[in-house]
Amino acid sequence: MQAKAGPLEKKEASLGWKLILPTVIIIGGLIIYPVIYNIYLSFFEVSISPGKPNIFVGAENYVSVITDPGFWRSFGITILFTFLTVAGGIILGLGVALMMNRKFIGRTIVRALILLPYITPVIAIVFAWKYAFLPIDGPLVRSLSSIGLMDPGVDLINDPNNAFWVVTFFNIWRNFPFVYLMILSRLQSISKTYYEAAEIDGAGDWAKFRFITLPELYFVIGSVALLRGIWNFYKFDEVYLMSKFAGTLPIYIYEKAFIGVPQQGVAASIATLLFVVMMILIGYYVKKVLKW
Amino acid sequence: MKKVIILTLMILLITGLIFSTTITFWTTEVESNRLERIKALAILFESVYDIEVEVVPVEENDLLQRIPIAKAAGTLPDVVEGGIEPMLLMGSEDLLHEELATEIISEFGDIYTGASRLLSSGENTYYAVPFHAWVQGIWYRKDWFNEKGLEDPIEWEEILDAAKELHDPDNGVYGLILPKQADAYCEQAFTEIALANGARPIDLEGNITFDTPEMIEAFRFYKELGKYSKPGYTTVIDALNGYLSEEAAMIFYSTYIMDDIAVEEVQKSRIDDYNPELVKNTGFANYMENTDRSSYGQVVALAILESTKEEEAAKKFVKFLMTGNNYIYWLHMAPGGMNPTRSSIAENPDFLDNYVLERYGTEKIMEIISALENIVRFDFYKGHVLEEMSKISGAFTIGKAINSMFANDWTPEETAKWAQKEAEKLFE
Repeated sequence: MQAKAGPLEKKEASLGWKLILPTVIIIGGLIIYPVIYNIYLSFFEVSISPGKPNIFVGAENYVSVITDPGFWRSFGITILFTFLTVAGGIILGLGVALMMNRKFIGRTIVRALILLPYITPVIAIVFAWKYAFLPIDGPLVRSLSSIGLMDPGVDLINDPNNAFWVVTFFNIWRNFPFVYLMILSRLQSISKTYYEAAEIDGAGDWAKFRFITLPELYFVIGSVALLRGIWNFYKFDEVYLMSKFAGTLPIYIYEKAFIGVPQQGVAASIATLLFVVMMILIGYYVKKVLKW
Repeated sequence: MKKVIILTLMILLITGLIFSTTITFWTTEVESNRLERIKALAILFESVYDIEVEVVPVEENDLLQRIPIAKAAGTLPDVVEGGIEPMLLMGSEDLLHEELATEIISEFGDIYTGASRLLSSGENTYYAVPFHAWVQGIWYRKDWFNEKGLEDPIEWEEILDAAKELHDPDNGVYGLILPKQADAYCEQAFTEIALANGARPIDLEGNITFDTPEMIEAFRFYKELGKYSKPGYTTVIDALNGYLSEEAAMIFYSTYIMDDIAVEEVQKSRIDDYNPELVKNTGFANYMENTDRSSYGQVVALAILESTKEEEAAKKFVKFLMTGNNYIYWLHMAPGGMNPTRSSIAENPDFLDNYVLERYGTEKIMEIISALENIVRFDFYKGHVLEEMSKISGAFTIGKAINSMFANDWTPEETAKWAQKEAEKLFE
């Protein structure tokens, strides 16, 4: 049996509502409204000229996207790209974090230097990479060819056949410092007594890593993988700047919806589809991996 | 007393705000030094006509995406400056005020028809007013050509002969530096070559025509030229730096190169050593010939939007920008790169009174401007504007095809077939 709310509880409830109202309005205006408007637009052929109204086309935008083999091809490429970059970034970030967790001379400087790829503006890095790999004149190509490791006339970065690997490798290199930073901060808070106890029990380095470090890092790595997964799934700038051939989903959307006369309805339907897919994946991941 | 003064000032300010006219101008000249000049012109315009101009820089690639956003927000501009492609697209969506553009063109009466035809929307009507233009061609080392007794690089055969003859990679000199990356520069160079052979990617009915014998021949010629080019998938910056540092005998470039060649500070910002002889030793082939004659260029136009509420003010502003010293002040933002589309300005001594233009001389400049009359483009055919071309350009289909042709050693036939398939996909 529920107790009837007295005047005091009522007052408290109404005060509570008043207090969260600003938050509700902000979230409503900045998140819920755009999402709903996007879903609404996805059922229209959106006109860009002021005189012409939008035309309701039902599910036509969705049908045209789902039945396009190009969409599924890009989808596959994006999944592979996301998987490889997240896995690569975590392995590299973990390795570097473990090394940087040991004491050595100049550690502070090295720790700061490692962050450079992540904090430098992407356009500057892209040009730096392209310059370093320039055939004949690029400094990296020059030094590698002078010791006979490569042919100076080879253009690794701009070869369309290398596009996928170039953007994948570039993404791992650019983003591993983020993983490294997260893991390192967790590493530093693992109590030394665990390791001391393990040593008394005769555990080797591998056993210590496997049974102490890794379990302690589990949730950090899980969360970082989730974040990087979401970010890389939608990654446009780095990929497009490095190569026009990488063919991931964000580039598919760009080419499909924004080249020529913008097709906002089609773009909205793709965004809605991806939103649904991502929500399902994230929901599953959060439940199973992060065990919320 | 004080109160009265403040009150009067307030009233003046408010009435001023209510009755003053404001127009919004979107410009694609986003570099800060250019914006300074444009803002100065806007202030001058305001002082003369009492019409305020709000200058908004917009990246050319973002122009079309910003339009729907501005439409939804009710902040559509009154006047827009941009290249042919966005103008044609906006025009085809009924966004542009064709009557006003047509009126301005006929009132000036001296706008080169070669420039205005590229913006035509039908019989004697226009989407926008051609504002300034550049021409592309082959810039070459006249002194090296003379030494070897080579003809000017105009006909296909002459270009290929020169590339072969001057190619000396062991000494770090290449016949040319050809665009081989999937970008707009590659498409621009290829356009001139393809049109010299009468090849077009799209016909009047909107059919994709990459698989024609003429187009295959153009790919074959391009691939052949590629043999005498600097290694790597070179692009615009490689071409420019390579030419300035005397690595290449020929490059494809627009007239924007003129200050790089002639002005010491500009050249030194690209390479280490300045070569004062380069202006004298450089030739410019502003057209190409095989079966047809072709000359590629870009026209930047001013358009008034259909939605404007300030038709008169917008028209005044366009005419203001294209008149006398205002116009010359604008064009001198990029001497050589920005050429006038009005004959009276091209002949005006004040226009030629510029440290870059002077170094080339009146005759050369007039020759470059006259090439405007012969500009041919994929998006303009037999008096008709082909808006569909912008989709093929936007997806870099031509650049991708050429990039792949060199990377995979495709035959010209394979390249044409691939481009045909890719382009068809865009219109499914």
